[in-house]
Amino acid sequence: MVSSVTDTTIPAAAAGIADIDAARLTLRGLSKRYSTDPSVAAAVESIDLDIEPGEFITLLGPSGCGKTSTLRMIAGFETLTDGAIELDGVDIAGMPPNRRPMSMVFQSYALFPHLSVRDNVSYGLKLKRMSARRIAEDVDGILAIMNLSGLADRAPHQLSGGQQQRVALARALVMRPKVLLFDEPLSNLDAKLRVQMRHEIRLLQRRLGITSIFVTHDQDEAMTMSDRIVVMSKGRIEQVGAPSEVYRRPASMFVADFIGRANFLDADVEEVHGDGTATAAVLGDSLRVPAHPDVVVGDTAQLLVRPESVRLSTGAAERSDRVTGDVGRVLNTVFYGSTVEYEIETDSGNLIASVADPVADDVLELQSVAHVRVESSRAWLLPDRS
Amino acid sequence: MTLTLDPTSTAAQALPPTTKRRVRGVGRDPSVAIIVAVVVAVLLLLLGLPMSKLVMAAFSDEGLVVFTGLFTNPANLRVVGNTMLLGLLVGVCGTLVGFLFAFAQVRLKFRGKRLLHLLALVPVVAPPFAVATATITLFGRSGVVTSTLLGLNTDVYGLGGLVFVLTLSFSPVAYMNLKGMLENLDPSLDEAASDLGASKARIFFTVTLPMLAPGIAGSFLLLFVEGIADLANPLVLGGDYTVLSTRAYIAVTGEFNVQAGAAYSILLIVPALLVFLVQRYWTGKKQVTSVTGKPSGRAELITAPALRIPVLALVAAWVVVTITVYTTVVAGGFLKVPGVNNEFTLDHFRFVLAGIGSKAMLDTTVMALIAAPTAGVLGMLIAWLVVRKLGRFAGVLDFVGMLGLAVPGTVLGIGYAVAFLVPTEIFGFQILPPLAGGAAALGGGLAIVMVYITRSLPPGQRAGVAALAQINPAIDEASTSLGASGATTFRKVTLPLIHSAFATGITLATARAMTTLSPIVFLTTPGIKIMTSQILAEVDAGRFGNAFAYCALLVTIVLAIIGLINLLLRKVIFRGLLRH
Repeated sequence: MVSSVTDTTIPAAAAGIADIDAARLTLRGLSKRYSTDPSVAAAVESIDLDIEPGEFITLLGPSGCGKTSTLRMIAGFETLTDGAIELDGVDIAGMPPNRRPMSMVFQSYALFPHLSVRDNVSYGLKLKRMSARRIAEDVDGILAIMNLSGLADRAPHQLSGGQQQRVALARALVMRPKVLLFDEPLSNLDAKLRVQMRHEIRLLQRRLGITSIFVTHDQDEAMTMSDRIVVMSKGRIEQVGAPSEVYRRPASMFVADFIGRANFLDADVEEVHGDGTATAAVLGDSLRVPAHPDVVVGDTAQLLVRPESVRLSTGAAERSDRVTGDVGRVLNTVFYGSTVEYEIETDSGNLIASVADPVADDVLELQSVAHVRVESSRAWLLPDRS
Repeated sequence: MTLTLDPTSTAAQALPPTTKRRVRGVGRDPSVAIIVAVVVAVLLLLLGLPMSKLVMAAFSDEGLVVFTGLFTNPANLRVVGNTMLLGLLVGVCGTLVGFLFAFAQVRLKFRGKRLLHLLALVPVVAPPFAVATATITLFGRSGVVTSTLLGLNTDVYGLGGLVFVLTLSFSPVAYMNLKGMLENLDPSLDEAASDLGASKARIFFTVTLPMLAPGIAGSFLLLFVEGIADLANPLVLGGDYTVLSTRAYIAVTGEFNVQAGAAYSILLIVPALLVFLVQRYWTGKKQVTSVTGKPSGRAELITAPALRIPVLALVAAWVVVTITVYTTVVAGGFLKVPGVNNEFTLDHFRFVLAGIGSKAMLDTTVMALIAAPTAGVLGMLIAWLVVRKLGRFAGVLDFVGMLGLAVPGTVLGIGYAVAFLVPTEIFGFQILPPLAGGAAALGGGLAIVMVYITRSLPPGQRAGVAALAQINPAIDEASTSLGASGATTFRKVTLPLIHSAFATGITLATARAMTTLSPIVFLTTPGIKIMTSQILAEVDAGRFGNAFAYCALLVTIVLAIIGLINLLLRKVIFRGLLRH
């Protein structure tokens, strides 16, 4: 369904802006302090990041984590307290924002309300003093790509939210920026449109090969769109990695908790193996699980288990109605349609289990007991202090 | 006045204001620093100098005699008491009338709401002394209603007449305030109360009224200040009832004692400033609520006769009085001796148009047309600095700009007289020649234009701040991100978005400047004729017909200018639409 939508809205003829040359963007020790008082924490604390040409990078984190400040420093709307921003090896930290070869797509779209769609999109080209014919060609080209051709003479307020979003994107893309910056651009759209726009933006970005930095607090957006995710917290980078890496191998408890849903089970580390796994006592059992490099023998650790990696079976439970070891009691059930979720009480703590494709007859009853097993290859052992 | 644009309806779309973005510092942009310096210098000249000179005069030796006498001399004490009593009564009566109109308009079911709304706002357009004069014609010793129709021998001069006239003039302020609040009350609160078993009356007293309390208190305070600060009406209608403003006027124009006038008038500043501060506090809070809570529907209109009949009867009675008074103003200009000899004549208009009147019309219009755009530009500049450029000092600049509204006209006029009738000196060096008085350059016209600018700056500034605050800073940043410099962004994006607020500002500025009297009477010279002070002179001389004719012409000119500005504006908008 999704692919059919995107295929119709973005024709192959992306001719007008095909000649975008992707750039490498490097952040070195990027810092931002709003207060001169040293006791006040920095908004952004010494960020180092190397973004490959054509890469789609997402800055993800809770509000106040510094992701927007980082983006605004890259755009030039905020001055750096310290550090450097290099575009293809040239430091641009001192360059005013209107000179930087970057375009930004804003959360509020920031369309000029007094200008038509066409005038909005051609605004930047006119400032470049391009010929009227070139401007018309480029604008028509990008409007066709964004499926906006029929709306060129409309005023922004006559457009739907999704259309406004496309105009904002067209206005940024038509400038052939070396880097495209997104400041939570999808947060004003309704849920269904948001999912559709994610795919459209990602498809377009891939096709044009344009280096992109996308700020969001929505982990679904980050997971589905990015080549790499930069998870931030309190002005620092917690982890940089591909979506699957960040999800399956989080570098810290914060990342594990922030991305996706997580069960944490108390575990005692019994043995650390050389192949990146460790054996830990959990749920009355000894499990050999993938482990964070900082895990050491004798430590209490936390075993991260995603709800979909918890296996439940009722057969074993019939033997015992007591909650010990790997036997748990069903405290709550929530039926979502595609999945059913259980809250299970075990003596290692309560955990959430998600079972896909449930049939009504199979759904466990409240207070019934079930055998709980962890898919050990999908679990991840984290040091307690991380 | 209703045809002027609401500052909130500007072209700027209602983007959610972003709170986390901070405005840029001044230091980064030298052009901004220069603009700040110029604006501050202008404000110092317009407001700082006159107000500080006024305070110094009030606390000079001569001033102190009067000032201390205010609290010891029984005659002066009575003047203070009179003033407070007048303010109190005007506050109560005006708020009551305003509330009745607002309540009927928003909550009662009846036909002709639009008409009632217009009638409620009629007093805004007319100069206040028109009402006072009409009141004398109608209800005075030989008044049409009291003497001719009813055969009574009443005295309209004094407290009673003043309260009536000021209530009539200022109740629209309370009406607009309370109407807005009533409309914004969430009807689901009423529904919740009703759901919990409360009767309509109980809801009114336990939900509606408490929710309106800030609005009622705010209206009362505003009318209180208007009441104590008014000069025109007490001069015409006060009789033996002396208030601080008339006392100050007599001191300056009759006793030629400016210091005494300063001492009398300074007492008016304190309550005015207090009310101003309270108002600012409330408006600040109101903005927060208007973002979060949108009314979720319309309250059911009240049809219960127990409430409907008495309220509508009172409203109708007040409407009849309003219409009678304003008909008298309009008709009076065409009657030989209004109320006494009601023969049709064009003599009054001939007198006004052929005599000094034509010069007054020209002088007033020219000066207002110089002052209004200047005030408009200054207001937009201040708004731009306040909203976009100044962080910590934005509040201070905004406050100073709005002082022109807060300081009573009498006080401002005396301040100007104190400051500008003499050369301005700093450490013995003359830096400015006298700007006011017949001997000054341009016949003292400069000081009058300056007063006009000061008085008409606040509406434009307010409109500009409201318009700019609605424009998401991201729109400016989008323009920057697309390669535009700060100046280009201001020209191509910011200015087009606030130009209607600018027009609104100029419109309001013109209307305000042309109908202003109290600061002007202290500054008129033989060389410069101002319509409002000419009207006062005609009323003083008992030539009511001429006064009415002046009033009619003044209102016509004001409406013509407002219409012209709106026409120009519409033309610009139409052109804009056609282009796309």
